[in-house]
Amino acid sequence: MLSVENVTFRYRRQGPDVLRGVNLELKPGEIGILLGRNGSGKTTLFQNILGILNPRSGTIRFEGEDLRSLSRAQRARRIAYVPQDIRFGALSVFDSVLMGRVAYFGMKAGQADYLAVEKILRDMGLEDFAQRNVEELSGGERQKIAVARAMAQEPKLMVFDEPTGNLDIANEQQIIREAKRLAREKHIAILSSLHDLNRAMEFGDRFFFLKDGVVKYTGGRECFREDVLRDIFDIDVKIAQVDGQPVILQKQEERI
Amino acid sequence: METAALLKKKKRKNNTVIAVMTLAVLVLAFACLFAGSSRMSFRDCLEALLGTGTAANVRILWNIRVPRVLAAVIAGAGLAVSGLMMQTVLNNPMASPSTLGVSNAAVFGANLSIIAFAGGFLSTGNNLSNLTVGANPYATSAMAFLFAALSTLLILGLCTVRSFSPNVVVLSGMAIGAVWTAATTILQFYATDVGISAAVVWNFGDLGRATYRTDAIMAGITGVGIAFFLLLSWRLNALLSGEAAAKTMGVRVEWLRFLVMLIASLITAVCVSFLGVIGFVGIICPHATKRLLGQDHRVSIPVTALSGSILLLAADTFARSMGGGSALPVGAITSLLGAPFFLSIIFSRKENRRC
Repeated sequence: MLSVENVTFRYRRQGPDVLRGVNLELKPGEIGILLGRNGSGKTTLFQNILGILNPRSGTIRFEGEDLRSLSRAQRARRIAYVPQDIRFGALSVFDSVLMGRVAYFGMKAGQADYLAVEKILRDMGLEDFAQRNVEELSGGERQKIAVARAMAQEPKLMVFDEPTGNLDIANEQQIIREAKRLAREKHIAILSSLHDLNRAMEFGDRFFFLKDGVVKYTGGRECFREDVLRDIFDIDVKIAQVDGQPVILQKQEERI
Repeated sequence: METAALLKKKKRKNNTVIAVMTLAVLVLAFACLFAGSSRMSFRDCLEALLGTGTAANVRILWNIRVPRVLAAVIAGAGLAVSGLMMQTVLNNPMASPSTLGVSNAAVFGANLSIIAFAGGFLSTGNNLSNLTVGANPYATSAMAFLFAALSTLLILGLCTVRSFSPNVVVLSGMAIGAVWTAATTILQFYATDVGISAAVVWNFGDLGRATYRTDAIMAGITGVGIAFFLLLSWRLNALLSGEAAAKTMGVRVEWLRFLVMLIASLITAVCVSFLGVIGFVGIICPHATKRLLGQDHRVSIPVTALSGSILLLAADTFARSMGGGSALPVGAITSLLGAPFFLSIIFSRKENRRC
C-alpha cells in the first residue's frame, strides 16, 4: 500500500544527504516500526511520507499513486499524523478532533462531520472530555486526542512519531493498545518510530532498521538479533527468553 | 446526543457574547457622538442629530462626529483583526500590524508627501482652516498607502524565497520597517519647521480625518477581509497545531500565510493611511479575546473585531473629553492603554500558555 522507493533527501542544497536511498513497503493493516539512533533520519523520512518535506529523488507511492500528484487535502484523507510535540490551540477537545475533518469539509463542518467526531470520541472513551480545553489536559490525554484527531481524517495510514515519548508506562501501553486496535479492526496501516526495543517488538509486525539514511534491515521479529542491534545501535545486547518471549537486555559491562 | 446539547449550549453562549458586544459598540458609538471639543450640550447634540439644531451644530455632528465614530468602529475592527491574523499565521504572539513595517512605510509615504512634495492636504483633527490649503485631499493618504502596499509586497515577495517561514517574515518585516523609519528620520532632518510639525502631527493617529468617503473605503476592505478570514476559520484553527501538523491535515500553509498576511496588511495600510498611526489595538484586543474566550477563530475573529471597535471608540471619547478644547491624539491613548496591558501579559503567571 505504501511503497517508498529509493528516496533521498537533504535539507540544504549543499548539505549532506540525510536519506540516502530509502526503500520501504507496508501493507494495509500492518504495523511497521522504524528503529534507529537519534539522527538516523526517522523523522525526516516521516516528513517526506507526509508531504511536509519533499524527496530530492525517488518516489513515494500510496496505493499505486505517486504522492506528489495528490493535493494536500487528498493526502490528508489518506495519511494522518500524530506528531512528537503535540500542540493544539486553546480549543475544546471536540473542536480539536473536528479539526481532523478539515480536509473533508473545508469551510464549515456539517452534520456528518459532527457525527463522525462523536463516534470517535465514544469509541475511544473520550466523551466526557468533549468540552474540556485541550490545553488543560495531561500529556497522556493530549496524546489520545491527537490520535482521535488523526482518526477523524479517516486515514488508511497513520504515522506516529515517537508516540510514547512523554508518557508513563500505563499511558504508553494504552496508546499502543489503541493503535493496535485501529490496525486490527479498521485495517489501518501504522508506521511508527519507537525507542524502546521491547515495546517495539510487542507493538510491530514489521521492522525497519535505519542507519545513516538507509534501511539496513527489514523483517519481522526475527530481525531482533544481537548482531543487528549492535550494528544499528552500537551497543552490545543479550536476548533472553522470559515466559517464552524474547526480551532484550543490556549486557553486564554496558550497564552503568 | 449529549455532546450535541453541549455544543448547542456553547454556541448559544458565544452568540450571546457577540450580541452583547455588538450592543456595546452601538451604545458606545451613540455616546461618542456627544463627546467633542465644540462645547455642544447634550440637548444641542440631540437636536443636531435629528437635524433640528443650528446649522453649525448639524454640520459638526453629521460632517465631523458621525464620520469620526464610524471610523473608530471600522478601523478598530480592522486593526484588531489584522493583529489577530498576523499572530496566528506567524505563530508569534507579538505580531501586529506593525510587524511587517506597514505603519512605518505608511509614515514614510505620508512624510514624503508632506515634506518633500509640500503635502497636498493636511487635515489635523478639528483644524478646519487647513481645508483651504490643499488641492487634493487624498495626496498624503495616497502616498502613505502606496508605500505601505509597496513595502508589504516587497516583504511578502522576499519571503517566498524562504517559503514563508514565520521567523523570516517577522525579521524581514522588522528590518524593512527599520529602513522606513531611518528614511523618515533623514527626511525630517531636511524638513522645514513647518514641514516637520505637519509631519509629526500626521503621525499622531487621528480619527478626525475621516470623511464619509474614507469610511466607505475602509469599511469595504475591512468588511471583505473579515468575511474572508471567517471563511478560513478552520484552516486557521488547524494552524494552531503547528505548521507540520496543519500540512498533514490538508492545509496549504504557505498559501494561507501569504493570503492572510496580504489582506491583513492591506487593511492596516488603508486604515493607517487615512487616520495615521494608531498603536497597540492589534495587540491588546486579540490577546484579551483569546484569554477570555479561547482561540477558536470562529469566535475570536468577530469578538476581536468588536473589541477593537470598543477600544477605539472608548479611546477616542477619552481623547476628546480630556484635551480641554482640543483632542488628544487617539494613537497615544491606545498606546497608553496598551503598555500596561502588555506588561500584564508578560508578567502573568500564564505566560507559558500560547496566546
